[in-house]
Formats: sequence, structure tokens, C-alpha cells
Amino acid sequence: MTPRIGRYPLSRRRFIQGVSIAALAAACGRGGNGGQAEPQTPSGAAPSPVFSEPATQLSGDLRLLMWSHFVPVHDEWFDDFATEWGEQVGVNVTVDHIDVTGIPARISSEISAGEGHDLIQFIATLSQFEPSVQSMNDLMDEATSRFGDQLELCQKSTFNPTTENFYAYAPAWSPDPGDYRKSLWEQVDLPDGPSTWDELLEGGAKIFSEQDVQMGLGLSQEIDSNMYARALIWSYGGAVQDENEAVTLMSDDTIAAVEYAKELFDAAMTQEVFAWNPASNNEGLISGELSYILNSISAWRTAQESIPDIAKDIYFVTALEGPKAKMAAQHVMYNWIAPKHSTNFDAAQEFMLHYTANLANVAYQSKMYDFPGFPDQVPQLDGWLDEDPFVIEGDDATKLQPLKTALDWSTNLGHPGPANPAIGEINGTFVLPNMLARVARGRQDAEQSVEQAHQECEEIFTKWRNEGLVGGA
Amino acid sequence: MSVDSAELDQGRQVGRSRRKLADRDDLLARLFLLPTAVYIIGLVAFPFFLAILFSFSDVTTGNPSLDLVGLRQWRTILSSSIFWTSLWNTMIFTGISMVLIVLISHVLASVLVKDFKGKWFVRFCVLLPWTTPVALAAVSWLWLLNSIFSPIDWVLRWFGLIQENSYYLGRPVLAMGSIIAIHVWRIVPLATVIIMAGMMAIPSEINDAAEVDGAGFWRKLREINIPLTLPITAVAVLFGAILTFADMTVVFILTRGGPTQSTQVLASWAFFKGIEGGDLAQGAAVALFLFPLLLAAAIAILRMVRRREVM
Repeated sequence: MTPRIGRYPLSRRRFIQGVSIAALAAACGRGGNGGQAEPQTPSGAAPSPVFSEPATQLSGDLRLLMWSHFVPVHDEWFDDFATEWGEQVGVNVTVDHIDVTGIPARISSEISAGEGHDLIQFIATLSQFEPSVQSMNDLMDEATSRFGDQLELCQKSTFNPTTENFYAYAPAWSPDPGDYRKSLWEQVDLPDGPSTWDELLEGGAKIFSEQDVQMGLGLSQEIDSNMYARALIWSYGGAVQDENEAVTLMSDDTIAAVEYAKELFDAAMTQEVFAWNPASNNEGLISGELSYILNSISAWRTAQESIPDIAKDIYFVTALEGPKAKMAAQHVMYNWIAPKHSTNFDAAQEFMLHYTANLANVAYQSKMYDFPGFPDQVPQLDGWLDEDPFVIEGDDATKLQPLKTALDWSTNLGHPGPANPAIGEINGTFVLPNMLARVARGRQDAEQSVEQAHQECEEIFTKWRNEGLVGGA
Repeated sequence: MSVDSAELDQGRQVGRSRRKLADRDDLLARLFLLPTAVYIIGLVAFPFFLAILFSFSDVTTGNPSLDLVGLRQWRTILSSSIFWTSLWNTMIFTGISMVLIVLISHVLASVLVKDFKGKWFVRFCVLLPWTTPVALAAVSWLWLLNSIFSPIDWVLRWFGLIQENSYYLGRPVLAMGSIIAIHVWRIVPLATVIIMAGMMAIPSEINDAAEVDGAGFWRKLREINIPLTLPITAVAVLFGAILTFADMTVVFILTRGGPTQSTQVLASWAFFKGIEGGDLAQGAAVALFLFPLLLAAAIAILRMVRRREVM
């Protein structure tokens, strides 16, 4: 007897292939060196690097800590980029990359110890560290005068309106589109993928029942589940807080969103989504076991190198239209902070300006994973999205076009308010995915679950208000 | 007195004073204990008392300066439903794990004290899980329990025992079962070695005499082996319970506390709250919550062991 996954027989060969795919995807999802095949040769030339003279004479060491990028070749480029800048300006630059999940703990320990890296990057809000980091207000003034206006979603991710302080600097970000398997959606008469939450439910349910391929929207304690919950709630008109940082989660809109999530789970998903980690949806999509996920383009870039046939079948859609809005959170927000123990803040600021001046290279070297926070710096972006420079043979070079409108449907964590420490803790303790999951599992009805989550949010907000870091009442 | 004899006398005096120093057991004992004391104070006592201080303060990961806030953090965690869920899960997790660990390690120890061909190889295999770093072992188990490519599911499907994937980590009961199984797998080797040492210390004459009197396997087990290995078993339970209770790696890597907090334990919730959420004070309060209970259990077990030894 041949074991089966879904309707397809699972041979030993297919099993081993699958495990290999999963390992690759995990490496990608965790920022490891996932690429096994030769990297694609880009069709266009990389932008020329830009160098601008620092305003003051620099010296000493500059120690950077950052994540291991989901597109590993970016890190190879970045390390050379940073050290070459250091050689030009007389600064000894060292770059440490660690797994993204380890960065908050590392920042906490360095701040407690009062020593460590001069400049630290993380992909979610770092607002809770505001009392222990240098103000980036001067850097923001200089960057705005040099590079034009910064995107609102980047500003709201790094600015605390209560203290009127830029505690972080966000020169780049990544959108969070829907990734779907075209061949599956063609069979349910949606060849361009779903454009609304209703279409997602209708098409996803049909694919699950007729083609036995489930959907992959996490209901677990991890970043992609957080992004799904936020996109859904906003699209139904709900939000954790309002513009003035007052908790507003308990609403008919949020309850409707939670009820939809249960319906979608019952119709199109399996119980695997309750215990996923950040790499799980990547693994499922790349191995051909999922019809649709919410993620960046990294899973597809990994598939280009490891399983080109699957990569060719993966396409992207914008945020889904809901009853009230069409909105998604940014997938990644590059928050850079300089702890107060930083011994070379001048060099840190100059490096950030140099990095911002080279955002075109950042976008290109990350294979269009990173988008500029100062869009004037990358006029080439639309051209690259129209025709992907890293397209593989036989693939559609235009499939990144939906990302051209990413600014129209992307927003910051905490929308319509700022990404304050309360939003950071709600994110870090996974209040929203658990709210959806309790109902999907049938443990609570939607109203009870939203009420519980609202209460949890109120307690978190009250605590951070007492710290003087969150406004509202 | 010649110069040589004066030097000789002086040398003898120095030797006597050195001997005095070397003969002073109390001083030497303190001297030899000093490194251990420094180690315990620096790496155990200091962080422990710091955690107690944190739990009565408003310290956050971003603001290490602390103001004392009395029992506020304790009141907050006691009013949290997730805290009580984590506490219950910790009890279930530790309790079931310990029962299984004691049973399995007793069986294994009984086998491994016997003489048979390949005993050393079997002992090596039994000890192997203990030598594997916990994070590495947890990642391996994560793959074994993968929702799509679980080899365990693959084998079960091959034998026709299941038709669809089990989703071990996506179903609350299976997820908790998986976490317990992995902990049992990890701790059993340590408990086995401890109990084996206890069994080997039982004088063979006692068992020989029991056999002469016609005692069978079960009677010897009930009336000789279990009573005589009880103190050492208690030590194994103490070690195992502390290791199980304080561990968050397996939960963090396998389920991150899911599905919907059903595998969340105090150690992992303290990490999520204190580090990922930034609230170091509440994280410390959660982590410290069961310290008094563990301390009481440890004292009771150690006193029981001491009483048995005296008897």
C-alpha cells in the first residue's frame, strides 16, 4: 500500500523530496543559507554604489547586529558594503547576523549589560526599548533633507507621538502580498488569484474539497499568523487601537472578522495551522501542499533555486478587499536602533545615511524583497517589478507587478495609530492569532474571544501608559 | 650555634607553620569550597535574587532602571487566564513526565544491571538522548512531527494505521503528548543511570537469601528492590522534576505554546512575556511563581532520603 498525502500517493522518492524541500524552506524562512542551486544571473546590472562624505571625521569601531536575511545573498552583499564604507571613512565595521527570533533577547541582554553593538536592526517594532536608545530625530531631519519624504508607515513604526521622539530609524520595509498557486486557482475560475476575502473563502474551499489542497493562513504564535490576523481585522473595519492609542478591538467589525476566520478554517484548512512556526507556510507552499499563503516573496525566491517548477506556478496578489478596507501590515519593517551604550553614534548615523543613499542597491541585492522607505531613492523599482531582473528560464517576469501598488494597501503595525510598545507586546505575545484560533477550534464564540483579547490589550496598554510611552486613555 | 644550624631551625619553623596550615581541615575546607561558593553566588544566587527584585518592580527590557511597585506584577499575573493555563499545563506536563520517567527508568535499570551480551552497546544507546543538546534534539523532533512530512506519519500510513496526517503539534492533546514524550525521552537516561547505581549498591546476599526463601521476581521487586532503591529514586525524581519544570526549549521550538496556549508552560510564558513582550518584571514573577512549591518538594524529598539513609 502506498501512503498518501491528500489525494496524491506518497512514494519514498516523493517523501525524501518533500523533506528536502521542507529543510530548504526552513532555512529560507529562518534566514539560513537555504539556497542550494546556483544563484540566478540577473538580467540587468546592479545600481552603482553611491558614496557621500561624512559630515565629521570618523574613527573607531562600529559594531552592527542584524538578522540573517530571508534572501541570503543580501547578507553577502551587505557585509562587503558595510566594511568597504568603513575602510573609506576610517571606521572598523563588523557585522553580526543572527537568527531573527533571537534578536529581542539579544537586545535585552545588551541593554541590561550596558554594552554590545552600536547599531541593531530588527524586523518588527522596537518601541519597548525607547528609554534605552539614542534619539534618531537628528538623523531623520538629515535623511529627510537629503532623500525626500519618508513613507508614513515607516514613520509610524519608529516615531512615538507621546514623547515626540524617533526612537528608531526605518529606511526600508517589505510588503506582505498573498502568494498563490496559479494552476490550482485556475481550476476554480480565479486564474488571477483571489482579490477579496470572499473569493478567498469560496475559491479556497473549492480547491480543498475538489483538489485536496489546503490553504495556509497560520493561527499560531508566530509572525505570519500575526500578519494574517491584522490584515483580516483591518479589512473588516476593526483595529486594536485608534489614532489616539485608545483600545478599540471590541467591535462588531472585529467579531465579524473572527467569524470569517472560523468559516475559512472550517472550509479550507487543516489543524496544522495551529502550531506553525514562521517557516511552516513557506515549506507548505514550496512543497506544493498549500494553495495560498500570506507572506513576502522569499518562499518564491527559494523555490526558484530549489524547485523551479513550483516557483513558476507561484503568483502574487495584493491585499484582499474586505467589507470595509483593503489592507495588510508590512511583512518586515527594518527598525534600526542605537542603544545608549553605543560608543560610536556619529558613525552609526553616518552609516545609516550611506545605507539610505544606496537603497536602490538594497532593493536589488535583496532581489526585490526590501522596499525603500524613501521611495525617491529607488526610481528603478517599478521597472524591476515590471520585469524581474532575477527571472528564471520559463518563468513569467511580470509576476511581481501587483507589488507596484503595495503602498496603497500596506500599513504599519498599530494602524491607525503608531507601533507603540503596547502594540509590540500584543504582537510578541500573539494576542490576535490566539483570538482567532480559540474560535476556529470551537473553544469560544467570536464575541467571547474578542472580549478576552480586548481585555488583554487593555491591560497591556494600561501598563505601558503608566510607563509614559503610550498615549490615549 | 653555627650559621647552618640557624638556617636549619628557621627552615623547620617554616615547615611547621606550613604543616599547621596544611593540617587545619576547617581552613582548607573553606578554601576548597571557595570557588564553588563564588560560582553559586555569582551565577545562581545573584540572578535569583535579582529576579525576585524584578518581580516587585516595573522593570522592562527597554528600561533597566527599576521602581518598586509592590505586589502589582503578582496581582496582574494572578488575574491572567493564560497564567493559570500555563500553571495547569506545567503541573500536567511535569506530573505525567515524572511518572513515565520513573517507570521506564526502573524497567531499563533492572535490565541493564543484568549480564547479557551487548550490554555496553545497549547502555550506550540508552544514554544517547542525554548526550544530545536539547535544542538540537527538539529541532530533530520538530521534523519528525512535521505536519506534512512527518516520518512517523509516513510509517503509520505505510502500515495502514492512519489515512491522513496526524498533525501532532496542531491538536492540543497530541501536542501535549508530544512534548511529554520528548521530555521523557530526554530525561530517562539520567534517571536510569541514577537508579541503576542504586540497584547495583544492593548487596547480592539479600537477593540470594530471598531466592533461597522462595521469593519470586515480583516479591523481590516489592519487598527488596523498590524499598532499597527508594531514596535514590527520590533523587532521580527530584532531578527530573526540576529539569522538566524549568525547561522551555522543547515547548518553544515545537509549539511555541500552541495550539491556543494548550502547551504553554510557566517557563515559556515567562519568556514570551518577559523577553518577546518586553515586560521583564511580569516575566520574572511568572518564572518565580512555583519556586516555593519546588523548594518545599525538594526539602521533603531530601529529608525523606536522609531518614531512609539513617534507618
